[in-house]
Amino acid sequence: MSVGIYLCNCGTNIGERIDFSRLQEELLRQPGVAYATPVDFLCAQDGRRFLEADLGQRRPERVVIAACSPREYERAFMQVLERAGMNPCFLQMANIREQVAWVTPDVDQATGKACAQIRGAVERVRLHSPLFRTEIEACRDVVVIGAGPAGLKCALTLAEAGRKVVLVEKSPVLGGMPVRYEDLFPNMECGPCLLEPVLGEVLHGPHSANIEVLTLAELSGLKGYYGNFQASIRQMPRYVDAEQCIGCGECVPPCPVSAPNEFNFGLDTRHAIALPFPGALPNVPFLDARTCLRSQGEECTLCRDACPVEDAIRYTDAARTLERPAGAVVVVAGFGLYDCRSLPELGYGTVPGVYTSLEFERILASNGPTGGELKRPGGAPAGSVAIVHCAGSLEERHRPYCSGICCNYAFKFDHWIEKKLPGARVYHLYRELVAPGKEEFALYEEARRNPRAGFIRYAPGGVRVTGAEGGVTVEYQEPAGNRGSLTADMVVLCPALTGAADAADLSRLLGAPLDRFGFFAELHGRMDSAQSAIKGIYVAGACQAPMDIQMAVSQGMSAAGYVLSGLADGKKLEIPPIAAVVDETRCSGCRTCAWVCPYQAIGQSPEGRAASVGALLCHGCGTCAAACPSGAIRANHFTNEQILAEIEAVLA
Amino acid sequence: MNQTQTQPAAPSPAGPFEPKIVGFLCNWCSYAGADKAGAAQMSYPPNIRIVRAMCSGRVDAQFVMQAFRDGADGVLILACHGGDCHYQEGNYRATARHRLLLRLLRQLGIDEARCRFDYVSAGEGEKFVRVVNETVEAVRALGPLNGHGRRTM
Repeated sequence: MSVGIYLCNCGTNIGERIDFSRLQEELLRQPGVAYATPVDFLCAQDGRRFLEADLGQRRPERVVIAACSPREYERAFMQVLERAGMNPCFLQMANIREQVAWVTPDVDQATGKACAQIRGAVERVRLHSPLFRTEIEACRDVVVIGAGPAGLKCALTLAEAGRKVVLVEKSPVLGGMPVRYEDLFPNMECGPCLLEPVLGEVLHGPHSANIEVLTLAELSGLKGYYGNFQASIRQMPRYVDAEQCIGCGECVPPCPVSAPNEFNFGLDTRHAIALPFPGALPNVPFLDARTCLRSQGEECTLCRDACPVEDAIRYTDAARTLERPAGAVVVVAGFGLYDCRSLPELGYGTVPGVYTSLEFERILASNGPTGGELKRPGGAPAGSVAIVHCAGSLEERHRPYCSGICCNYAFKFDHWIEKKLPGARVYHLYRELVAPGKEEFALYEEARRNPRAGFIRYAPGGVRVTGAEGGVTVEYQEPAGNRGSLTADMVVLCPALTGAADAADLSRLLGAPLDRFGFFAELHGRMDSAQSAIKGIYVAGACQAPMDIQMAVSQGMSAAGYVLSGLADGKKLEIPPIAAVVDETRCSGCRTCAWVCPYQAIGQSPEGRAASVGALLCHGCGTCAAACPSGAIRANHFTNEQILAEIEAVLA
Repeated sequence: MNQTQTQPAAPSPAGPFEPKIVGFLCNWCSYAGADKAGAAQMSYPPNIRIVRAMCSGRVDAQFVMQAFRDGADGVLILACHGGDCHYQEGNYRATARHRLLLRLLRQLGIDEARCRFDYVSAGEGEKFVRVVNETVEAVRALGPLNGHGRRTM
């Protein structure tokens, strides 16, 4: 087999530091080396043109280019090979610039090392097999899981680009968490108002026909792979036909049932048929079958009797499972709060008047349990509020990280307390204060200017909340050791943001891993934070990391961008040729490869026990090939034979 | 040819023993770290022969054994730092495999210092140079791998 070698002198970069004539002499002694030609600047336009023409003339079977790092121009040179009619994988580069010429001052030594590295490349390239790009058809539809701001913007963007989107929301209401907040930091924009235009577009806009909105729905299964997923979606019945319902709400008051209202975190009650809260979209009540008297065998029809529309309430509705094809899945499943019951010293759940920040958001909301009055539900207006920042944060035994948004919403709380209850005291108990961003400092400064606001820094674990006559006592220890205490009517805890409670189940269904905090793991923290480790599954918003609305929405759009470029119209999906392949005759079915694969790319062959690599999911790392005890896995372009030949030759 | 090419793996009266080291570098971090050292023109001993793998997780134990059999006096496996692996966790697999490899080498009478595992990121040109220097010196101090070790493979 003939190998042609090109020695790039890279101007003086290589040419003056390696003795090319000695190198040529040595290399031409290698069996099969047809020629070893020095070239000026092989990477330049002229150099590449020369290479293409020279390959066409001399027709070597394999090519070695000894030049700079393959990380620089390998792809470009592979394209030249292709243009010259060769398989691009018939190239091997030897890095004699970064890893020889530039780091070896002695010309003799540099020449010897270059010779060894090039010999390694020659022996390796002889064993290169031709690899071919293959393409498959891909489905362009997308399943978006979660209808918070990030999910809505993602779905809308995709729909505007002409994609069919299935928007899967587990609750009966769209908008995620911010739709429950009266106002948002940093500029007190109303939460529902912020989302209304987007919701309007999703539900009734010019592209709404492209979005299938499924409320009360959850993913129940996912089969297939990037470009060809099959999603199973379980939708619970609403018992109210959204097409028929006029949203008048007449059905709600007659309902005799009273149940804890989960939309206000149990701070008040709702009927069995209810709207989550006034203004919730879609403006269609839902019937909660678990609490409805009918589920206990009673023949109650009070809601249906009150409904002015024929057949809008249907007790016979049943759960259904929908099957939807999709090329990609975007997970926008939202967040949870660190369970404050694991911080018993903070009194949550045991001391009356202690609330989480989400509960307090609802107390502030005009459509919340107190109608927006700043008081305990059923109590008198508060005269003082203590806000405990960093609850469960910045501590390894709870959550070591800073969630980054709590200070901002705490200053928002400060703003509203000052506005709604002039004269009320506010205490900020904090471990650290952060308010990054170009607008956020204003709220912080306002809180600092509030003459009735106090700032107290506490030591790790240095806050203790206990019940007191007519209020709550907060004892604290400052970092320097001094202790103090204060009383307040209400205590608001700002817990660390965590992954959503059902993230683990969703992760199992998707095969997309969580990180150690229960957030969906990203492919790369900075460059690819909206991609999961699994191709075709994207993650956006606070299910990936604690973040504010701005960043969540940006990530939702980013996920849409990945989908639109990866599954571009008129483009097939390319299967990368550098992937692992299983020799079924040698595979014992031990599954070691599947266990080590970080991408869950290895399944079982349909015919039997042998492993089978999903070429579209494989990233080509070769970890499975190294782990296989039977040597049954070939890592294309990095095969055992190729690497062993290289090792032998560099040592010869 | 220069010494490292032609000299048998035994001390030469012409100078100190020049060990042959094979370095397995992952494409994304360590190989880039070596390139970085090059771009900064930091010099280091020419004793190392670099073999690129896409991931340190690809470095099969038999590659290491083959390197020793083919004349290497030392082997260096370099990976991305924990949490930085381009392939999520190949570097953790490589770490685990290296631990096993050391046990095997011990049984063969090969000093552990001949098979070093370390982490070099794409930005750590200086660390790459330091690790190569240390490895070359450590293996030089051990002398050529001959006798029992090489024969058993």
